[in-house]
Formats: sequence, C-alpha cells, structure tokens
Amino acid sequence: MAPILLWLILILCLLISVVKYLMGIIMRFSFPSTKARKDYTYEPAVSVLMPCYNEGKTVYETIESISKSNYPNEKFEVIAQDDCSADDSYEWMLKAQRDFTNIRIRTGRNAVNSGKARSVCNALQHSASEIIISIDSDCIFHPDAIRELTACFAEPRMGSVGGRVGVRNPNDSVITAIQTLIYYSAFQLYKIPENWTRSICCISGCLFAIRRELLLEIEPAIRARNWFGVPVNQGEDRFLTHQTLLRGYGTYINNDALCWTTVPNTLSVLFKQQLRWRRSIVRDFFFTMKTLPQHVWKLHPNTVFTLVLTPVGALVGLLVVVNMLTQDPLSWTGPVPLITALAIGAVLSWVVKRYSAKEAVRHPLAFAAYVAWSFVSSLFLTPLALCTMDSADWGTRTIAAVEREQEVPLGNATR
Amino acid sequence: MATPPVETTPPETKTILPPQAIKAPAGQTLHALHYKLVLTLYRVFAISVLYLVLIGILAYAWVMGFYAVNSSWAAPVILSAADEKSLDFREKLVTSQQTIEDLKVDTKKLGDGVAEMKKHRAALLALEPKLQAAIAREQNHNLVAGPALSTLDQQKLADNATTQKVLETLNQVESNIHKDLTSGLITQGDAATQLAAVNQTRNAYTDSKIAEVLLTDSVLDKTTVGTGSLDVLVKQAELRSEVAQLDVAINVAEKQLQEEDRQIDRLHQAIATAKQNPYYLNASGGQTLYFAFVPYDDQAYATPGNTIYDCYLNMVLCRKVGSVKQVFPSEEQAIHPIFKMQIRGFLIQMNLDHPESAKSKTVFLERKPVLF
Repeated sequence: MAPILLWLILILCLLISVVKYLMGIIMRFSFPSTKARKDYTYEPAVSVLMPCYNEGKTVYETIESISKSNYPNEKFEVIAQDDCSADDSYEWMLKAQRDFTNIRIRTGRNAVNSGKARSVCNALQHSASEIIISIDSDCIFHPDAIRELTACFAEPRMGSVGGRVGVRNPNDSVITAIQTLIYYSAFQLYKIPENWTRSICCISGCLFAIRRELLLEIEPAIRARNWFGVPVNQGEDRFLTHQTLLRGYGTYINNDALCWTTVPNTLSVLFKQQLRWRRSIVRDFFFTMKTLPQHVWKLHPNTVFTLVLTPVGALVGLLVVVNMLTQDPLSWTGPVPLITALAIGAVLSWVVKRYSAKEAVRHPLAFAAYVAWSFVSSLFLTPLALCTMDSADWGTRTIAAVEREQEVPLGNATR
Repeated sequence: MATPPVETTPPETKTILPPQAIKAPAGQTLHALHYKLVLTLYRVFAISVLYLVLIGILAYAWVMGFYAVNSSWAAPVILSAADEKSLDFREKLVTSQQTIEDLKVDTKKLGDGVAEMKKHRAALLALEPKLQAAIAREQNHNLVAGPALSTLDQQKLADNATTQKVLETLNQVESNIHKDLTSGLITQGDAATQLAAVNQTRNAYTDSKIAEVLLTDSVLDKTTVGTGSLDVLVKQAELRSEVAQLDVAINVAEKQLQEEDRQIDRLHQAIATAKQNPYYLNASGGQTLYFAFVPYDDQAYATPGNTIYDCYLNMVLCRKVGSVKQVFPSEEQAIHPIFKMQIRGFLIQMNLDHPESAKSKTVFLERKPVLF
C-alpha cells in the first residue's frame, strides 16, 4: 500500500511539474494576462541595495553595470554594504564609488559579519526610496533591468518583482551547462503559470525589487528569523517572496529585466549551493504547513499548490529513489532516463541558442549528466537539508569564513 | 551634472549580539532553555540520522560491490507441492505415462495382427503348391484322356452313322408289320411285340446320340482350355494377390510396430530425464526438499558434496548448514536477489541440516565469502 501511495504522490508531483511546464508554454504564447501591465513612465526613486562578501573585483564590475542603467541617474542610488569581507571587496567598492560618479553610490560595512539578509536590512536603513532593489554582488545587470522592474509596479497590488537570471558561464563545464538549461526553463516556462496569478513563490535574490513600505514591514521578521534560536541567514529571497504573498501583494517575474550570474562550475560548490537552497525550501515548507489554514484562505490555489507540492515532491523523490535502489537497483541504468534527458537537453539547447544566444550551450549532450545529478540531488540533498537546518554555513565562501570565524557570531556568509 | 559626493554610510550603530549574550528576563531565559533543549535533541537526532544514512550508503555500496564480484552465492528456492511448474510438470508426466500405456496396447494389438496375418499368409502359401500339383495332374490326365476320348468319339460317330442307316430300314419293317397284321398274317400280339422291339432300337439310337454329344463335350474339355481351367487360374491369381496384400500389410504393421517401440523408448528416456528434474522430485516426493538457484557465473562451486554456508546480513558470520546433493543440468531463469535483474543458471538440491536456511536470501557454496 505504502509504495503505491508513494508512487501516486510522485506521479502527482511530476504531473504538476509537467503540467506547469506545458502551461508555461501555452500561457507564454496565448495568455496576455500572464504578463504584467508595464508603465515605463512610472519612474519612482530606487535604491539598489548590494550586500557583498568576499567578491573581490566582481563587485566593481557589478556596480559598473548598474551605473550604466537606462534610468534617470538622479532617481536611483546604489547602497553597497560590505559584510566584513576578508578580501579586498570593500576597496573595490570604494574604487567603484570614486570611478562611477554619474550615479550616487554609498558604501558601508557591517560591524560584524551578519549574513546577506541582515546586510540588506542594514543597507535599507540608509535608503529612503520608494522601490528597493536587492541585488547580488556577483551579477552583471542589463541596462534596462531597473526600468523593467519599476515599470511593473504600475500595478497597484504588485508587491515584489524579480528579474530573469541568466548564466554568464554556460560553457565552463558540464555542470554549468546543466544549470544554464535549468535556469532558462525555470524562468521562461516553470514560473509562467505562477506569473499568471501574480504568485511567484520564490523571486531570485539576484535581482529582487520590492516596495519600501513592504520591506520595512517585513524587516523585523527577517531579522528575527531563527531555527530554535539559531539565526537563519539563508533563503531570504524565498522568505521575502512568501511574506509578500501572505500580506496580500502580488509577486511577479519580469523576464525582460535581465541579470547575469556566474553559476558554480564544480560539483562540490554546486552541491553546497543546492543544499542551501534545499534547506530554504524545507524551512519554507515547514512554515507553510504551520500556517496552512492562513495560506488556504489567503492565497490563490495555484500558490498553495506550488508551496506545498514542490517540497513534497522533493521528499517523495527521495523516498522513491531509496525504494528504487533497494527494490530494483539497476533500473536507473536503463537507456530511458538517458534518452529522455538527452532529448530534453537537445530541445532546450536549441531554444536557448535561438532566443538567448549569449547563453548558448556548446555541448547540449552534457545535459545527460543531469540524470546523475538528479539522482544525487534526490538522494542526498533532502535528508542532508533536513538534518542541517541549524546550519548557518553559506557553503560557497568557506576559506575566508574560516579566517574570520572568531568575529562572526551570527554566521559566516553573505551569499 | 555635478558629480555627487562620495558617500559612506555611517557605521552600523546597532551591535548585533548572539542571543546568549543578551541579558534576558526569566521568561525569555526559559524560552531560550527550551530552544536549547530542542536544538540539542535535534542535533543529536540529526547526527544520528546522518551517521545512519552514511552507514546505510556504505553498506549499500559494499553489498552491491560484493555481489558484483562474488561467485559462490546461490539463492535458495522453496518449491511448494502446489507449485505451478511442479503441477504442470506432473501433469505432463502423467500424460506421457498414459501415452506409453496406450502405445503398449497399440503395439500388442499390432503385434497380434501381424502374427495372424503371417499365419494366414503361411496357409495361403501352403495352398499354392497343392494347387499347382492339381493343375499339373489334371493337365497330365487330359493329355492322356483327351486323345483316347477323341478316338472313342470318332468311333461313336461312326457307330451312330451305321445305326442311323439301320434305323432307316426299321420304317419298312414297321410298315410290313402293319401290313401283316392287317392281312392277318400275324396276330395283334405278335405285331405289338415286334413294334416294341423297333421302338426300343430307336431309343437305343437316341441314347447313343446323347452319349456321342457328351463324349464330344468331354473331348473338348480334355483337349482345349475351358472355363473350368480358367477358374482355377483365377483362384491361383487371387491367392497370390492375397499373399502380396498380406505382405504389404505385414510390412506396414511391422514398421508401425518399430516406430511405436521407438516412441515408447523415447518416452521412457524422457520420463527418466524428467525424474532428474527438481520439479518432478518436488511434485512426487512426500518429504520436503531444498533447492537453490545457482547462476552460471557460480557454476564452478556447484558440485555435489560441496559445503553450503548461510551467513548473517547475507555475507558475514557464516555457518555450515549443509551440502550440495544434486545438480540439475536444465537451465533456469531467476531474478537476482540483490540486483533484481533476470539471470540464467540452474538449480541444485541441497541437503540442509538447518532447514531455516532455505528461507535465507542467499547461501554460499564451498567457502565463506569474507573469510568469517
């Protein structure tokens, strides 16, 4: 009975995923309402908050790209907040401040290493703009990114708007090739049905715009986040999006607002990043379950489905993989998963090459490695995330973190 | 546009301290203690789970690797009396035995028939020389009797011709008798006596003519091939035909008999082979038998008399539980107990001192898999 139930849940989750992708394709081309009404004449004051930790010269390039934005210079500012970087990030921030004088750049440093979420909150204290845009300090932004984001706030109930995150290094390795295709399909298809109901469940922290009053309302909750007393400094983007929805605002991804990020190019870094994300998903799931009645009454069913079934799918996926390994260990070695992955990879590669040449993957067959990755992901990430919920380790800045461990009581990471 | 001044945000005034550093009221302290307790339990639980997962993964990898390289395992198979294959096998065996019985009856009938036909053929063949002798004897007799009869026939013809001439005078004699009677020269009694004598002469002539015709007929019989002779020849031909037909029938019957004998032999051989099959043994034997599936890769260790070990966790702390009794050569297919893939091999019969080992997932032949 139990395996049947397990399979049923898995099939349901898969169906919902597949249906979401199919709906994404249909809605993308047939439903104008999936796109928010944009008003480019709406030009509110914008503060771009940029927390930074151990990014080195990249932070300079990030600020440079922001400085080239097609947005009235007097209407936006950059507030760069260094989270006690161990490297020369702060110096690069200061250099950018000196070099890009066409825009207003403010720099600051946390007294102690506080994590990304709190760095954003600290930067927020120095902002008075109507719209706050939080960005990652390792991204490169399209000149129209700010304009595209603010234009969406013409819809009065729009609370948060995100942009599309593209991959800067699609051909570094097999791992980056896989991520490129996944990022592209996630933004261009998977999130479209959520866009339809203005209920994106997770806006990427790489490019996250939010109304100031809303962020101020949520800020205490961000600062208070903890896991039985252990401060939580991960998954602030998912948390912010979720809180926006619960406060009755809409969330939206504007795929015309572009930024480019450098994705992990080694398996160990990818694993740590995915583990961090999985922890956020699990934590978000617990929160959803804890306040399920509130969700059911307040949110669109589409949102509740996404909030509940995405993590349930991950849990069930784990159980199914364990079941498969014990009942039929060699079943995954058959040609079907490989051929399916290759076919999906080929189609996605063609689409990416056609519509986003910058992200074209040179070796689409590398997507076959996704089979192995999905196996590892399903099997290890969820249990590991469930057992390390108290971890404050960001995972991808460990060397510097060790060096500064003594003075970082709240966690050693900013991104 | 004027260059905006370089700004640096004032340093953060708030000092963020870890929760334990903040001096909190009693309620909060209790709350913090509660959190600490939960967190400690969670960490203990999480570490235990992670270690268990790690152990599970290592154990899983070890088991997979072990069964990928081990070549002495066998998978015990419990065949129930009601096993479909056994029942099917038994049914086929009964059918074969029934066929043998039917064939035996057929063979006996056929053998009897052949014997009868051979007897009949011998009788017919015995008639042939007698018939030949009779025909020869008759032909020889005809050779002698034919010319004699022919001479007699000629003589008879001549006699009758002479008699006929004599009879022509009798009419004058008869007329004279009537004249003498009319003239009263002779009495009526004398006349009657004389007329009777004339008539008797005529009758004698008629009889002689009949004898002549019969004689001529006899001469014809004795000197030419008549229907009588042909009848004899037909009978001779029929006799030979019947013998020939019997020869064919006997030949066919003998071949059929040989074929049925061969079929019986084949069925006997098949049954003898079948009796070496585990399913037959299982279906026919009254006692519980123990079998095990051995993949072809492990064939080297499947020899009668080899020791069988049963191990805990399917590989360690092994103990001797019996020996290989018999190896069945027929191919079997089974699902690998660990990899769950279909593999080819054969069955062995085990002598088990510990019957519960028949329920183990695997046993090992000849040697302990990991030395202990």
